[in-house]
Amino acid sequence: MKIEINDLFFSYDSIEVLTKVNLQIQSGEFIGIMGPNGGGKTTLLKLIMGFLKPAKGKVTVSGKIGYVPQVHKTDRDFPITVSELILLGALSKTTIWGTYPAHIKEKANLIIDQLGLTPHKNKVFGSLSGGLAQRALLARSLLSDPDILLLDEPTANIDTSSSALIYQLLEDLKGDKTILLVTHDLKTIIERVDRVISVQGTANAYYPKDVCEHFALGLYHTPLLGLPENHFQEKGEHVLTIH
Amino acid sequence: MFSLFTDNIFIQMALLASLLASFASGVIGSFVVVKRISFIAGSIAHSVLGGMGLCLWLQRTQGLTWLDPIWGAFASAIASALFLGWIHLNYRQREDALIAAIWSTGMAIGMIFLSLTPGSNVELLNLLFGNILWIENRDIIRLIVLDGIILSLVALYYRKFLALCFDEEQAILQGVHVRALYLLLLSLVAVSIVLLMQIIGTILVIALLTLPAMLATLFTNRLAVMMGLSVILCALYSIIGLTAASVLNWPPAATIALLSALSYLLALPIKKKFGKYR
Repeated sequence: MKIEINDLFFSYDSIEVLTKVNLQIQSGEFIGIMGPNGGGKTTLLKLIMGFLKPAKGKVTVSGKIGYVPQVHKTDRDFPITVSELILLGALSKTTIWGTYPAHIKEKANLIIDQLGLTPHKNKVFGSLSGGLAQRALLARSLLSDPDILLLDEPTANIDTSSSALIYQLLEDLKGDKTILLVTHDLKTIIERVDRVISVQGTANAYYPKDVCEHFALGLYHTPLLGLPENHFQEKGEHVLTIH
Repeated sequence: MFSLFTDNIFIQMALLASLLASFASGVIGSFVVVKRISFIAGSIAHSVLGGMGLCLWLQRTQGLTWLDPIWGAFASAIASALFLGWIHLNYRQREDALIAAIWSTGMAIGMIFLSLTPGSNVELLNLLFGNILWIENRDIIRLIVLDGIILSLVALYYRKFLALCFDEEQAILQGVHVRALYLLLLSLVAVSIVLLMQIIGTILVIALLTLPAMLATLFTNRLAVMMGLSVILCALYSIIGLTAASVLNWPPAATIALLSALSYLLALPIKKKFGKYR
């Protein structure tokens, strides 16, 4: 087991964000996290990373976490080159003089090449397009060699070639790393993920075959809403009623 | 005008002190600008008045003649830096108001001790408004030692400071002790402020700490280059400002601060025309 969440409650001041969350995520699973804005997706990631403490309940994580934030949440005016940024993923491996060892620089170059960033590595991070910048953030995370990779909407508002490259890379990492991917793009990930977690005040995990069309429509219904069982109609290969 | 530099020992000492303070100012000022903590730096700068006032009062009324007000400045600058850091790490919701409170509380304590201290308060006025011609040999030695400490720590922790300033959450995930590193950075800001204070005074110190780095960031997008440019600009502002002040018979600190601000304003259209180096 890589991540275990038991009876978790979390609130900002008096506003409850997450209530009675119970999740078990196995090693090597590829999880898609979906839910409406303000539903608690990023809060759930922050609780897993330990940046927030639960009001009640417990989060147990075994393994090193890598986090890829949304590119628009980073400081694009910051004076840092792409290679400097990616190497920050290896901060824990610096020498006593604070420099990066040669094998880390080689590894960074391999990841830079793998993500198609070689022509851009000496450019300033803020000058990159959204897609390239998102790839650079992913490269930084991969250099840290995490067991668990958390990605917060990595393909939102980026070009299709960068998006395809990121999905291909995640496909290659599937099984090797535990991946939690926050996305609104259900249609693209439904073929790839092992489970989908719906986050809307609480969190429920579903197998792709059980995900209803309302997810794809962005309505994020859950059985907790008390809808009748026949509310959802069976349509298409992966569009089934929630039971 | 050249004889001003060759014949006058006070001017020579002042220039040497300016050059030495520029190292700490350019390097630490760059962190202040990219980490966006100018307001915190301003609060530290103004709170030093409390420590200086207390030392001067102890010196004059309690017979502690060995107690130089500069040590009070160091103590209060580091104490307020650590307190501000603690607030940032634990009470972010009200951080701006608490920074302003420390800013004015330090000044208030200083003003009370100033009124209680008998005799002339020339030392305090020198530190408030700056008096670079007041530099002595021991100030130069202190500048060299503290420059050495600041630059060594920055060289050793450069990449960790870079991570802290760019993305605190990532730094935590990489195992960096972000809380300790943040407090160390603020302490280095505090020490740099006291070093610069002797040149430009408490009230205007923030100008020399931030404006050279702000101008540098218009023309480079590498933090290390920004630091180098800031050091050069800080030294140039001090030297040119000091010379202009002597010729025009203006207050040196105000002249240096005004020169820094004017340079930044003039650089803005130049940057707009030529863009950033990529």
